[in-house]
Amino acid sequence: MHIVVTVKQVMDPIIPPSHMAVDASRKQVVSASGAPAVMNGYDANGLEEALRLKQVHGGKVTAITLGNESARNTLKRAVAMGADTAALLCDPQWQTLDSFGIATVLAAGIRKIGKVDLVLCGRQASDSDGGQVLYWLAQLLDLPVVSPIIKIEESGADALVVHQLMDEECQRLRVELPALLGISSEINEPRLPSPKGAVIATRTMIPVWNASTLNVGQVAGKVTIKALDIQVRTGQAEIIEGADGAARGRALADKLHQLGLL
Amino acid sequence: MTGILVIGEMAGNAVTKQTLETVAAALQLSVELKQPVSGALFGAGDLAGAAAQFNCGFSTLLLVESERLEQYSAQQSVTAALAVIAKLQPSVLLLPHSARTRDWAPQLAAKLGSGLVLDCVNVVVGEDGLAAVKPMYGGGVWGQHVVHGEPAIITVRAGVFDCAKPDAGASIERLEVPNLAPNPRIEHLETIVNEGTDGQQLKDAKTIISGGRGTGGQENWHLIEEAAAATGGAIGCSRAIVDMGWLRWNHQVGLSGTIVAPELYIAVGISGAVQHLAGISNAKTVVAINNDPDAEIFKRADYGVIGDFKEVLPAFIEHVKGYAK
Repeated sequence: MHIVVTVKQVMDPIIPPSHMAVDASRKQVVSASGAPAVMNGYDANGLEEALRLKQVHGGKVTAITLGNESARNTLKRAVAMGADTAALLCDPQWQTLDSFGIATVLAAGIRKIGKVDLVLCGRQASDSDGGQVLYWLAQLLDLPVVSPIIKIEESGADALVVHQLMDEECQRLRVELPALLGISSEINEPRLPSPKGAVIATRTMIPVWNASTLNVGQVAGKVTIKALDIQVRTGQAEIIEGADGAARGRALADKLHQLGLL
Repeated sequence: MTGILVIGEMAGNAVTKQTLETVAAALQLSVELKQPVSGALFGAGDLAGAAAQFNCGFSTLLLVESERLEQYSAQQSVTAALAVIAKLQPSVLLLPHSARTRDWAPQLAAKLGSGLVLDCVNVVVGEDGLAAVKPMYGGGVWGQHVVHGEPAIITVRAGVFDCAKPDAGASIERLEVPNLAPNPRIEHLETIVNEGTDGQQLKDAKTIISGGRGTGGQENWHLIEEAAAATGGAIGCSRAIVDMGWLRWNHQVGLSGTIVAPELYIAVGISGAVQHLAGISNAKTVVAINNDPDAEIFKRADYGVIGDFKEVLPAFIEHVKGYAK
């Protein structure tokens, strides 16, 4: 089974808005914290699930990312976790792509890889929170798509049984392969890279595929970012006072009662 | 193409509250764009009752009734939406943001080649065209997204707009949609309804008592349950609680769980991670109970109690019960 996992390098989601800034164009968020970028959490769940499927079925796991040269770090981490190969999709003209544009480039990358049985993507990225690249990708590759997945219950050579998370229930579905799944965090706990994996990662060559390698030029987007604004919380709660915890608990009940909330 | 189309959602035989909020967003946009609003509903059985609740200032209201729609499938929703769009030719499609629409709306956009923005808190008209305002970075950044293509597709977050009021204005038409069928490559085996829920949907709850890592252990969780029972509230939690296996995912409040909009949200032992705060951005009144005075949650909360919840909550619960008598 050949599984491709799409991974994205993102700003560490623990960085609070007070440590973020927007650039002069108001179109890009920059971190003022100096904290290193990380692999998108849901993508790490996708990679973990791919590695588990490989343990059962054998085969190969390929990690791909669309990003600038620094995104190589995230691919190194993917290899250190256990991915067999990786490719960096990088070209200056791809810097401001929307979801459709990103999917167009990823689709070209996946076609270049060749026969793929399963594509796993994180359900969304923790920076853009877009949640639609995987669906455009499925359309471009003509794959059945289900997201967000919280369990792969059975996996065979030609189909998977998966649990799709809905608002108040789960759908248990049988999806024919090849397919594309959006992976959610409930599915697993991603492994940490092993020391041996880290050594392998330093020795693994990661190719760069650009617009001419993939024969993809400028893509006209469907959505354009006009402006970004940081939402900094400056408020401070009104503190309910009292001699001890119990007194504060009673004072809170009184307050909420006065407000008509109880 | 002209006009704003809202495709509503139903829970049982009624339209959801969030559907009426989405209509309110459409009516607001209709004033700015000077374009009429129409509605559509898909479902199994007779939709006349739901249509009466949904009929809020529409020029047209289309119903797609088919027993095939009893079971949700993305492909059926896309097929029905394509038929409605072909008939009405709207310039904008607004949908309530839900587990279903976040699944089928991108597949519709991909079929149409339309621009789409999911989970928006506002839609405005500027000189560049239609701009959807979407929380990003776990809610820490709001982005204005100009949406190209027609229809522009936007899903609207719960709890942002007040519900529109029905006026029985538009005449109701039924639309036959042939070829309604799920994707042959995806077979539905079973719907697993959550065991252990009290049936109270977090999304529509008026009061929510939520616990986080600071509640310390399962042995203290009964205090959260008792507080919920005393206030008539639903039980929520932060992601940490789900990760530790104390509660199932359907109780999780936050960006990757449920985005809630209660009148009263009481956060117990929740520090206030960005992703959790994004999930309560539309809560009206937020109370935080936490022993760490520097916890991020106090910047979001309207009222705060600094202290050990094991002392605060029992007295709170007793006092609330007193009011109920």
